[in-house]
Amino acid sequence: MAGKRAAKQKDDGREPAADDAAVVVLPPDCRLAAQAALKAELLGVLEKGAIVVLDGSQVERADTAALQLLVLFRRELQACGGTLDWRGASETLNEAAGLLGLAQILELPAAGLA
Amino acid sequence: MAKILAVDDSVSMRGMVAFTLRGAGHEVAEAENGQLALDIARGSSFDLVLADVNMPVMDGIAMVRELRAMDAYKGVPILMLTTESHTEKKMEGKAAGATGWLVKPFDPEQLLATVKRVLG
Amino acid sequence: MSAVDLTQFHKTFFEESREGLDAMEAALLALDSGSTDHELVHTIFRAAHSIKGGAATFGFSDVAAFTHVAESLLEEVRSERRAVEAELIDLMLRSVDCLRAMLARSSSGQPVADADSEALRGELMRLASGEAAVATVVAPKAAPANGWDIRFVALPHLLQTGNDPLRLFRELQQLGRLEVRRAFVVDRAPARLADLDPSQCHLGWELRLHGAVARGDVDAVFDWLDGDCELAVEAMAEETPAAAAEPAPAGVPAATPAPAADPRPARETAVASSEGGSIRVGIDKVDALINMMGELVITQSMLSDIGENFQLSQLERLREGLLQLERTTRELQESVMRIRMLPIGSVFNRFPRLVRDLERKLGKQVKLELHGEHTELDKTVLEKIGDPLVHLVRNAIDHGLEMPAQRKAAGKAETGTLKLNAYHEGGNIVVQISDDGAGLNHAAIVAKAQQRGLIAAGQELSDAEVAELIFQPGFSTAAQATDLSGRGVGMDVVRRNVRDLGGSVGVRSESGKGSVFTIALPLTLAIIDGLVTAVGHERYIVPLTSIVESLRLRPEAVRRIAGGGEVFHFRDEYLPIMRLHRAFGCADAITDIERGIVVVIEDDNRRVGLLVDELLGQQQAVIKSLEAHYRRVQGVSGATILSDGSVALIVDVGGVVRLGRRSKAA
Repeated sequence: MAGKRAAKQKDDGREPAADDAAVVVLPPDCRLAAQAALKAELLGVLEKGAIVVLDGSQVERADTAALQLLVLFRRELQACGGTLDWRGASETLNEAAGLLGLAQILELPAAGLA
Repeated sequence: MAKILAVDDSVSMRGMVAFTLRGAGHEVAEAENGQLALDIARGSSFDLVLADVNMPVMDGIAMVRELRAMDAYKGVPILMLTTESHTEKKMEGKAAGATGWLVKPFDPEQLLATVKRVLG
Repeated sequence: MSAVDLTQFHKTFFEESREGLDAMEAALLALDSGSTDHELVHTIFRAAHSIKGGAATFGFSDVAAFTHVAESLLEEVRSERRAVEAELIDLMLRSVDCLRAMLARSSSGQPVADADSEALRGELMRLASGEAAVATVVAPKAAPANGWDIRFVALPHLLQTGNDPLRLFRELQQLGRLEVRRAFVVDRAPARLADLDPSQCHLGWELRLHGAVARGDVDAVFDWLDGDCELAVEAMAEETPAAAAEPAPAGVPAATPAPAADPRPARETAVASSEGGSIRVGIDKVDALINMMGELVITQSMLSDIGENFQLSQLERLREGLLQLERTTRELQESVMRIRMLPIGSVFNRFPRLVRDLERKLGKQVKLELHGEHTELDKTVLEKIGDPLVHLVRNAIDHGLEMPAQRKAAGKAETGTLKLNAYHEGGNIVVQISDDGAGLNHAAIVAKAQQRGLIAAGQELSDAEVAELIFQPGFSTAAQATDLSGRGVGMDVVRRNVRDLGGSVGVRSESGKGSVFTIALPLTLAIIDGLVTAVGHERYIVPLTSIVESLRLRPEAVRRIAGGGEVFHFRDEYLPIMRLHRAFGCADAITDIERGIVVVIEDDNRRVGLLVDELLGQQQAVIKSLEAHYRRVQGVSGATILSDGSVALIVDVGGVVRLGRRSKAA
């Protein structure tokens, strides 16, 4: 929901990356039960040549399923010529991605950085 | 800390489990059989479910199967508290979707260690 | 060692184990009488299983070891690898008894296993076809390597078991430094995100765990994932292993159950019942209390409204409010009392077993009928009524019911009927034990009473008087008692036990048709309606139910009899007068009979007149045990606190009547 709102903000021009980018905000509880909704949202922003900005700064809980979803999203986004950018990533998200060896694949920024 | 559902028909075992977990700062709900546990689980959310295997009304295995069919409990850890050292029971529990097990008898420290392990 | 004190759960464990054993016994008996309901087997198994688990958890290793063997036998039955045979049921029933005894010894801190329990455990093990207690042997841990290469590929359903690789990796991190050499998406992953089921896992990893970690510790991390992943663990390839710095941990032998208790003879020390006692209360009773509390609060606020600025015009409302308060208070009181009430079924349930054992022992055929199991009794009464009932049931089967041949000859069914019935009657709970046996043998009873000197030779007695004789102390003796109903305990003890509970017991009998023993018990022990009387500066409460009449006597109505006793004429009989001031040693009391008041009380059809100064009014009294706070006092059944805060003693009617009659007889 926060993500939808953020996605509509893409014209407000506040952030350079957001000029023509769709923004998806990852929910605080990003575990398995939340992923049907997240997947639907990601599918919505998946289009040719798009720049998708993920905001992971609010993530308080994450699991392997979440990271898998992001990995597969990035893979498909890249396959159709789009790019993934991060607006932020919480420590939790970073720690989980690091532990699973997926931080590089996801090109996650360190916590706090955008 | 975490919200935990403790399911056991034995009042003393359930008491021990709940007391130990509450002592460690967890929030614990109790149920005396699988059916009741399902009713409770439906109306709330839990980070972990601990369940005895042999219970009247609905046993632990059937309960796990039902819980796993609920979207909100697909990935929630469920530990079986079992005295069975036979592998069949463990396998039956696993097949139903249990995360793992804690073999009775266990003492409070073993319980806390396992809970800590599964909650990560 | 443990931060959590497990002893606080012991009492609950003993309680539920006793309940479990009762359920087990009932189910065994049902199987014994031919039921094929498989649920019974489950019930039996579950009970044994729970006891074993609890016993092991709470450190009663002897009980756990015993139950373990019984449970493995039951497991064979449950999985239909073993048939339900008479031998098995017998063995299991004996195991139930044995476990009861073991639990009783556990709860009183005595040595638990004894020769009997060990012998029975041996029998169970033999029957279990040598499949004795399987000690779980901890596999010796392999020598630690310098590190491990782990290839771990999730199967799709991995996440749906609640296992998360994230958690596994954290655990591995605790063992040593974890290096993720490669993380990959496996081929079977759907190419399109749209086709992904997020709860399916399609990831794989190549990990390296650095450090001298035991293989067993690595395996333990993955022990729940058997069948949920592909796993390969290999000792790290390069890096020559350093000289084993630590000795390999020796294989730890499985913990064996504590050695059997030392062979000291079981001490016969009476175990002080230190149990404060707990009670399980149905949720409906608690709800009723909460409702009542709600009403009380409403009434209270209404009354304080009126009280705030009271005007005379509100008098009617005030009266209404007070009435409501009284009603609610009474209801609340009743609901609170109901909490102490438990169904008598828990006592009745002992009897199928007892009857079965007696049948076998005596060669009689008995059909047991239970009625009114749901009738509720005060918990204290319930705990104490068991023994008298057992005695009466044994008696009925031993002495009442005839042998099958005898019954046949008398034109009756070969199988005798024994009925236990419980019901409400007035302010009492009535429990009846009736049989269709031979009835009391009047001639034999009279002969024995004469022989014992209880009655004079040639004395004519009514049926009721003859029946009364069996309750006389000294009537039944060890010589007459069989090992079943005897034990040197006679009906006089039954009567005394029932009287201690404030109840009474009587018998009706018809020759050739059977006997009915009737026990009447007060609904509750804890509250009585009483009449408050003054004796000097003291207050005594006489239970209302025992009062026949109160009267002022004219001096000429009183007669002195030999020995200093006084009697007065009351409804065709002379009753002894008991001066309470004298019996209890009260100062400044009225000693002129005509100035005081005589309260006629009755117990078991026997009456005495109590002389008191005056009657102060009726009041409900909550009985407090004197024994618990002071000591037992003859003629007093307890104490209570009056509305003015002073303490009053409650007259023990049975005791006082006995005292009074004795002084008359003297």
